[in-house]
Amino acid sequence: MGDVLTFGFMQRALTASFIMGTLCSVIGVFVVLRGLSFIGAGTSHAAFAGVTFGYLTGLSPLGMAVAFGLGTVWVIHGLYQRGIMQLDVSIGIFYTFTIALAILFLGLMGAYNAEVYGFLFGSVLSVTAGDLTIMAWLAGIVLAAVLLFYKEFHFITFDQGMAEATGIPARRLFFLLLNLIALTIVVSLKTVGALLVFAMIVIPAASAYQLSRSMLGMMGYAIAFGVSSSVGGVLISYRFDLPSSATIVLLATALFFLAAVFSPKRRRVARFATTPGGRP
Amino acid sequence: MTSRHEEHLICFDHATIYYRDRIALDDISLEIKSGEFLGIIGPNGSGKTTFLKTILGLIAPVRGSVHVFHCACDRLRCEHRARIGYLPQQDLFDPKFPITVAETVMMGRYSTIGLFRYPGRSDRVIVEEALSAVGLLDHATTPLGELSGGQQQRVMIARALAQRPEVLLLDEPTTGIDAATQHTIMELISRLHRDLRLTILFVTHDINLISPVVDRLILLNTKLFAAGPPSDVLTQATLAQVYGKETVVTNHGTPYVIVSDHHA
Repeated sequence: MGDVLTFGFMQRALTASFIMGTLCSVIGVFVVLRGLSFIGAGTSHAAFAGVTFGYLTGLSPLGMAVAFGLGTVWVIHGLYQRGIMQLDVSIGIFYTFTIALAILFLGLMGAYNAEVYGFLFGSVLSVTAGDLTIMAWLAGIVLAAVLLFYKEFHFITFDQGMAEATGIPARRLFFLLLNLIALTIVVSLKTVGALLVFAMIVIPAASAYQLSRSMLGMMGYAIAFGVSSSVGGVLISYRFDLPSSATIVLLATALFFLAAVFSPKRRRVARFATTPGGRP
Repeated sequence: MTSRHEEHLICFDHATIYYRDRIALDDISLEIKSGEFLGIIGPNGSGKTTFLKTILGLIAPVRGSVHVFHCACDRLRCEHRARIGYLPQQDLFDPKFPITVAETVMMGRYSTIGLFRYPGRSDRVIVEEALSAVGLLDHATTPLGELSGGQQQRVMIARALAQRPEVLLLDEPTTGIDAATQHTIMELISRLHRDLRLTILFVTHDINLISPVVDRLILLNTKLFAAGPPSDVLTQATLAQVYGKETVVTNHGTPYVIVSDHHA
């Protein structure tokens, strides 16, 4: 198996999956703790609509994915801020609206385009050097923003109202967080595909949640789960000739169930539940 | 700026404040001096929480004005808010949320530390002091969800203290906590008032719990019905205006009040 690492496509695939695994887990911690799962799912469909628009018009598919992903987040957030719609309802609208757009653009393209479907189902082995450059830049921007606003993001995921009351610009930071989620999805689009990208944001963080007692600990566990399932998934899928995105997500899911079974929290809560006067 | 604003830490001047399209506080005029311990009482929906949120600058008056630290509250800047410690009504939060007691208290430092910077040694010292003040230093690395309700409330008080505030706003800090713990928390707050010279605004529906310790009681029911020493406010005539005729005030040294208002 070692010699496979000398292939250029494999080196690029492993690099892409490493970037994707790290970034998704870091952002996933905030998504899971703040309960933003649905917005991640919605944005991934918008990003895919952007990809199809790019192929239809000849513009950069990843560039259009960024534009559609961010645009959707802005509109959803705008509707929410003005009190027009609850967050989950406006996401629900855009979730389906952008899929409709994607189907429309695919129909307008006429001819079957395998590359487009690579963005839907993931095609990590076809990641090009150009894709990697874009991924690395976007990942760098997202990680730098997380490092700069790490403590504030933690505060708003724990208690946004309290963060605002102590003078932290909580609403603007929440909006920034939504933008970072959208960029993370674009970075991961080619590696795991629009249908499964969301799994890589939620599952490693959810596994980490089972095991961690502190916020810092959860971040560490999430990165470990995310990177091991994405890099491990690529290697396993190559070895057994399986679809890579599915293998990555199935591996992450298996780790989640292991974490849930061995969760000290589950035992602790169960113990409290049977102790009279105990507080879960 | 008038001299009145300079003498008082917080100053409501004929302030009318809306909350969700209805008047929550109507034509309130009140001055609060530095170092005062105020109890804010009134029935449910009487505007008590809105009163605190206005001081924090989260809601602006539509008429009149509210000044805090000589600054109009709707223009309160972040550094002003950092000087006000706030304990919101206890929310139910996920008991499995991965956060330690020390991490929770450190959040009180964040606005002072400012953006782009991480907590330093001095912040950790302040967190330890705040935890010592509430008697939970031994639990610094314990996950928050493993503590009892009363202990969690002390953690939240420690977080407010870690802000090194001049004013402490407490919204029903003893609700949903057993009687023994309520008294522990009351003693803690009285001690903080005494030792740190903190200005304290304590919102509660439990009149009898706070009346022995506060300097003044503020009786709200959209309008300001009374503001003065407990012995002046806790009279049958005054309370009946807000709580109805069934109010009972007995007097054996300190007044004891029985009202029909049941807190949700």
